[in-house]
Amino acid sequence: MYYYIFDIRKCKKRAQVEDIKNYLLSLGISGEYTYPSSAQTIDELIDVGLSKQFNTIVGIGGDEIANAIAGKLCGRTEAMGIIPLEVSPDLSALIGAKNWREGCENLRFRKIQEIRIGKTANNHAFITNVNLDIKSPLEVTIEFKDFLVQAKVANLTISNFSLDLPKLNENFLDITMSSINPKESLLHSIGSMLGLKNENKGLSLIRARSLRIFTKYQTPLLCGEYSIAKTPQLLEISDEKIRLIIARKGQTFWGTQ
Amino acid sequence: MENTFDTIIGLNVVLKGNLHNKGSIQVNGTIEGEVKSDENINVGETAQIKGPVSAKSIEVSGEIRGLIEASEKLEINPTGRIYGDINAKSLVIKQGATFVGKSIMPSSEMPKVEEKPPVEKENKEKVEDKLGFFSKR
Repeated sequence: MYYYIFDIRKCKKRAQVEDIKNYLLSLGISGEYTYPSSAQTIDELIDVGLSKQFNTIVGIGGDEIANAIAGKLCGRTEAMGIIPLEVSPDLSALIGAKNWREGCENLRFRKIQEIRIGKTANNHAFITNVNLDIKSPLEVTIEFKDFLVQAKVANLTISNFSLDLPKLNENFLDITMSSINPKESLLHSIGSMLGLKNENKGLSLIRARSLRIFTKYQTPLLCGEYSIAKTPQLLEISDEKIRLIIARKGQTFWGTQ
Repeated sequence: MENTFDTIIGLNVVLKGNLHNKGSIQVNGTIEGEVKSDENINVGETAQIKGPVSAKSIEVSGEIRGLIEASEKLEINPTGRIYGDINAKSLVIKQGATFVGKSIMPSSEMPKVEEKPPVEKENKEKVEDKLGFFSKR
């Protein structure tokens, strides 16, 4: 029933692998364990799990493995679980698990929330957000459905879910940018600005289903610490949803469950 | 005006095209095209809009060149500059503001002018006969 894909690179020590396995066994939700390698990538392992008709694919690791599984399971009936090992604070908040033990317990209760994910034209997915890798302010052109935006930005984030920025509509991505680097994180600055008098005039927020980003030079789009695509790039919110296992008791970020 | 904005166009941002939004919009940058909201639009001091603007309520502290339609209220602050016609149910222009254009209130608010009923043809002929002019033969 459970198909686990273990990203060993995220384990602090070798014994942690056995600890997690033993804990899952004690909860009665043990299953098949697989490990990505140069011989078999994460995507190939997910395909194997789906072909074996497992109904729950669980990523044990960080944002990279979670996003890879989300991309493959989008629009499918199989549920997706995450046992977090060094995940971003946003993903940790979304699944309602601060550590791997809480992640394992979430799986046992199997509370499912259907959510949309962000996707790039090169078929990479992101559950939380992506940032344009900008070293110094950069001229950016962003094309939306009815208009285009030109700006010199120091920070650009395309967010599907963030702790700092409340999501108004699950069908839209939140595009935030600033002309100068804010003292706090960009999303936090925008989030604190909503509902208050706008003091920082350099901040922008646009909500859209899809967008196309152009820069003068090819610039990577980072999801946490790894690159998922490069500009020029099309990003859009998925039409279909993933079935994500979240904490039994916790905050609801998207509408009804 | 409520300051919860759904869309914010920041300073140094140039937007070309039509921005239509159900929620409120704050503009601090430049827009070349139509801006439309079902809620409020706040045009900040640094904002420049070239194109029609329409919303329920509009507050202007920057520059707009184009037709403005506010179904409820339009407020032009001292730093506000408007070059274009205004169609608003309620209008506030503060001292120091610039407004070059025509202001139109919705027609439902206009006082009705009573029209005199047209004189009937038969009565008109009778009157003419009594006077003895142009009588029919």
